[in-house]
Amino acid sequence: MQQFIATRVVQGIITLIIVSFLAFFLVRLKGDPVDITAPPTFNEDQKQRLRELWGFDRPLPEQYLIFITKAVTGDFGIAYLSKRPAMELVIERLGATWLLAGVASLIGLSVALPLGIISSLNRNSFFDLGSTMLASIGTAMPSFWLGLMMIIFFSVRLRMLPAFGAQDPSAIIMPSLTMGVGMAAYLSRLTRSAMLEVLNEDYVRTAYSKGLITRTVVFRHAMKNALIPIMTVFGLQLGWLLGGSVVVESVFSWPGLGRLMIDSIGVRDNTVVQAALLFFSLSFISINIIIDILYAVIDPRIRFD
Amino acid sequence: MTIVNRKGILVLALLAVLALSAAPLMAQDMEESEFVFAHGGPIRTLDAPVTWYISTHWLANLLYDCLIWRTVDGSGYVGQAAESWENVDDVTWRFNLRPGITFHNGEPLDANAVKWNIDRVRTREDFMVQPQWLDVAEVIVVDETTVDIKTVAPTPYFEFIVSFNGCELLPPGYIEEVGEEQFARAPVGSGPYVLSEFSESDRYVFTAWDDYWGGRPDIDRVIYQVIPEQSAQVAALLAGQVDMVANVPSAEVPGLEAAEGIVLTSETAAVMQHLYLRVETETGNMDSTYPDYQPATLDANVRHAISSALDRELLAEVHGSALPRTGRICPHFPEGGGDSFNSAEGVAAAYNPDRARELLAEAGYADGGPTIYLDSPTVGRAGSEKEVAEVVAVMLEEVGFNVELNILDPSAYGEQISSGGNNRDIMMVSLGCSVPLVPLFYQCNWVQANYNVCNEDFDAVAQAILTEMDGEARLELWGQWWEYWFDTMQTVTLFESQATIAYSDEFDFTPRKDGWYTFRENLKLAGDDM
Repeated sequence: MQQFIATRVVQGIITLIIVSFLAFFLVRLKGDPVDITAPPTFNEDQKQRLRELWGFDRPLPEQYLIFITKAVTGDFGIAYLSKRPAMELVIERLGATWLLAGVASLIGLSVALPLGIISSLNRNSFFDLGSTMLASIGTAMPSFWLGLMMIIFFSVRLRMLPAFGAQDPSAIIMPSLTMGVGMAAYLSRLTRSAMLEVLNEDYVRTAYSKGLITRTVVFRHAMKNALIPIMTVFGLQLGWLLGGSVVVESVFSWPGLGRLMIDSIGVRDNTVVQAALLFFSLSFISINIIIDILYAVIDPRIRFD
Repeated sequence: MTIVNRKGILVLALLAVLALSAAPLMAQDMEESEFVFAHGGPIRTLDAPVTWYISTHWLANLLYDCLIWRTVDGSGYVGQAAESWENVDDVTWRFNLRPGITFHNGEPLDANAVKWNIDRVRTREDFMVQPQWLDVAEVIVVDETTVDIKTVAPTPYFEFIVSFNGCELLPPGYIEEVGEEQFARAPVGSGPYVLSEFSESDRYVFTAWDDYWGGRPDIDRVIYQVIPEQSAQVAALLAGQVDMVANVPSAEVPGLEAAEGIVLTSETAAVMQHLYLRVETETGNMDSTYPDYQPATLDANVRHAISSALDRELLAEVHGSALPRTGRICPHFPEGGGDSFNSAEGVAAAYNPDRARELLAEAGYADGGPTIYLDSPTVGRAGSEKEVAEVVAVMLEEVGFNVELNILDPSAYGEQISSGGNNRDIMMVSLGCSVPLVPLFYQCNWVQANYNVCNEDFDAVAQAILTEMDGEARLELWGQWWEYWFDTMQTVTLFESQATIAYSDEFDFTPRKDGWYTFRENLKLAGDDM
């Protein structure tokens, strides 16, 4: 197990190095940051001096080496426009993004698991058809539209919830619901199909024939096996929530990392984009390592060694 | 039955959570006044001279004083840190500071502080506003409250320069003590408001400063809240959670008109929509991007045909809220030509499709053509670029042009513009229409390679304008400048954007002519004297 964890951590580090490479070179494919950042009143000499000040006049491999050497110490440089350390800006926003993704995941899981399990136990019932319909609606609804509708209903009509920001604790309700709905819809269908597959297995029939009650069969025998694909997809979805919450963060003006990254891409603030991309990757890799470890906890048949 | 009861309990619990969490929103603090402005973001550093983004300088204007500042109606200037100022000779501007004025931390805002600030902004090559300050040759401390700024040449529009981006006065002692990085975290100024809390590019809370030289501001707190989505901004206004939204989309206007407690107003935003036409191919990288391509717009007749083919009234309607224009400068400035070419008659006269066909025939296209490329972003500063470009293309085809319309994602379009020379015939641009910089854009040594214009006579008139200190003589030069400008027809002006502003009727507000959303003398609680 320890060897497995060590291997996954090493793989994660290699992935991070690859991501750092891609992050560094891809942001430069977008063009010369000085051309974009400098006002029209800058002539070519002034732009060149700016390149020298920011180190863009050096060969790209050298720039990458400087970047990666500093990055391992947590120094991603000073953001060109805010004049604050890029790392500091990212950390400032990271908490809000994690909180939002965490609450949205909780909502997603707490809706998806019961719906999926009950649907699978009552296949083709009204409940099953109803939950299928809800899942289809949840998947089809764009988060942008759902977010605005929620703002109009809860903020404009009822005046109950803040329409933006993160100042009030209740401000998290609408963005997390908006993100959680899509996750719940997708995971509930996955839970249903995973459970249906497991419920037809011989060992489940054996458990029933032993006289065990449904609750015991479902939670002690069926659920543990059905959880493997659910957890895999949940890990991917959580990663998506961390990286893909830009739309929801924009609609609700949630001060998260996604918005910071979009703002920074818009003004070619490479230092912040690189730092944010690495943090997204780090989060995603960490989640997947944790999910891998949890496989062993849930299903002892899985032997990592 | 049990299930129903459990469901009922769940619903009640959810409602209870919603109601409890909403309670703070409903409770109004009646003692302190607060104004929340929905800012589209992003907001850059409040070490203001570092950045040239105007929407960041809106906030800086609450936190910092400049020496002088532009009036709300755009007609002149008012003193901020400077009580008075005068033009001692052609190259010397003397500023007399308010005695005893200090920064929020108590540090004196004296002549030495002014010198430190102007020297900083004119010498720091990593400051985006630096080129604006290159006209300054020297700053001389005369005494504690008197400072002379010498310019390298007579600079008639120096008051504009000294009241524009980078004019913000920062406390030298504090910056030297804590460093620039820490200053960006906790900026200090001398303006009417203190920055009491902020999260970067998200929310900035300004609290009225008791010791401001002009007296404590009327409104206790001004908050700039970044809300990127326009629909969300409008929803927040309707929910009573923000007090002002600028640039309201036209689709949202009926809903806001029907709402109680909302005032709607329009004001020109000091931004114009233009077509830039290629008049030469030497500058930039056009030769390498489009080898041997000869833009049809090199022919002046073709350029004039383009201008004559455009119904600016209709284009302004397509934009939604705009005034059709033909000149390059906002008409409220004396230099803008007044009504001579921006009046309804002037605009109507500029639209002449028959003349456009004649001009094309004179250019050798009597049987149709030429083919021209029109590049436009999907959306830009005006917000309607794609739609306007599509209608422009139809109007041009109507008189015989074959238009190749090239609509690009804003990011890709930005790349295209930034690589000078990538535009072939026409590119869509939105630009500010304030006076001082405009002549520079049409001089031979202008730095942007996308739209270089070099006519020595035109250049000489522009240079004379930029150095003529006598106001009347300068206006006469402007008359000559306009003749060259219309004759060259490198820039085809379409319209001047108007901003629709919606705000709470708890406030009295006068929009600024320059399109800046900064709140000093132009915002009061309703009923108070403006």
